[in-house]
Amino acid sequence: MKALVVDDSRVMRQIVIRTLRQAGYDWVDVVQAENGKEGFDAVASEQPDLVLSDWNMPEATGIEMLHNLRASGQDVPFGFVTSEGSEEMREKAAAAGALFLIAKPFTPEAFAEALKPVLG
Amino acid sequence: MTQSTETAPLEPDAVEDEALSQIVDAMWSSYFGHVEPMLPAFEPHDIEGPVLCASVGISGARPGLVSVVVEKAGAAPLAGALLQEDEGLTDEDVYDALGEIANIVGGNVKALVPDAGALGLPGIVAAQPLPSSAARQAARLDANWQGHWLTFVVWLAAPAQAVAGHVKHTSTDTGQED
Repeated sequence: MKALVVDDSRVMRQIVIRTLRQAGYDWVDVVQAENGKEGFDAVASEQPDLVLSDWNMPEATGIEMLHNLRASGQDVPFGFVTSEGSEEMREKAAAAGALFLIAKPFTPEAFAEALKPVLG
Repeated sequence: MTQSTETAPLEPDAVEDEALSQIVDAMWSSYFGHVEPMLPAFEPHDIEGPVLCASVGISGARPGLVSVVVEKAGAAPLAGALLQEDEGLTDEDVYDALGEIANIVGGNVKALVPDAGALGLPGIVAAQPLPSSAARQAARLDANWQGHWLTFVVWLAAPAQAVAGHVKHTSTDTGQED
């Protein structure tokens, strides 16, 4: 099982990975990308089982990456980890095909709840 | 419409000190729960001396700016606490960490702003934040952590001025941007 963590902040990627471990998913391999463009390419090269992506990033945003993935026929499970957790953002995420949106600040419990349907 | 420093009162649903405090508390308990608590100040405390400031802009009908200002000497310990890594931190790590703090607070502030547009990417400057004259301070939290002062501050354009433009987000003078 492999997860792709996409965030332009190295600090936040480390926090996401740490929280993933704290949520009990220490058996999941993690690969990283720094923006939506790199993330799109990494989905093709790494074939992850799940993408955890920030929303606001340079080069390509998370929602642009998700649109591009779906337009290219890639149906990898996708969830957002973002500081914007408004209802409007959640609706946009769901409409684009995201399975969930975890709002920052988050807890291991929030990760476990969101990831259980995907990672078991 | 003419811009002026005379601003109309913010709407009742705009961001206020209590809301900002709750946002910062939630962030702190999630990511800094393993270190000693941050102590809110009873009165405003203007930081003197060198600072680092991370800011994110909010576009939309009520443009705004959300900043976290920290004493420069406290920036690395704060970043280390967030990363849970005390050694080997680079300047880039410190700027990155401060930017993420601003991003988290800014994203949650944006959710409280009516008709908000997009949240910008964090920018870091080694100076106090400089909002445009169209903005007024909507909320502020001063706090002390391990002897270092931090200020969280939110500026929003008043509704009557919203069509006049946007809050200026100054570029970095350190060459660092997240």
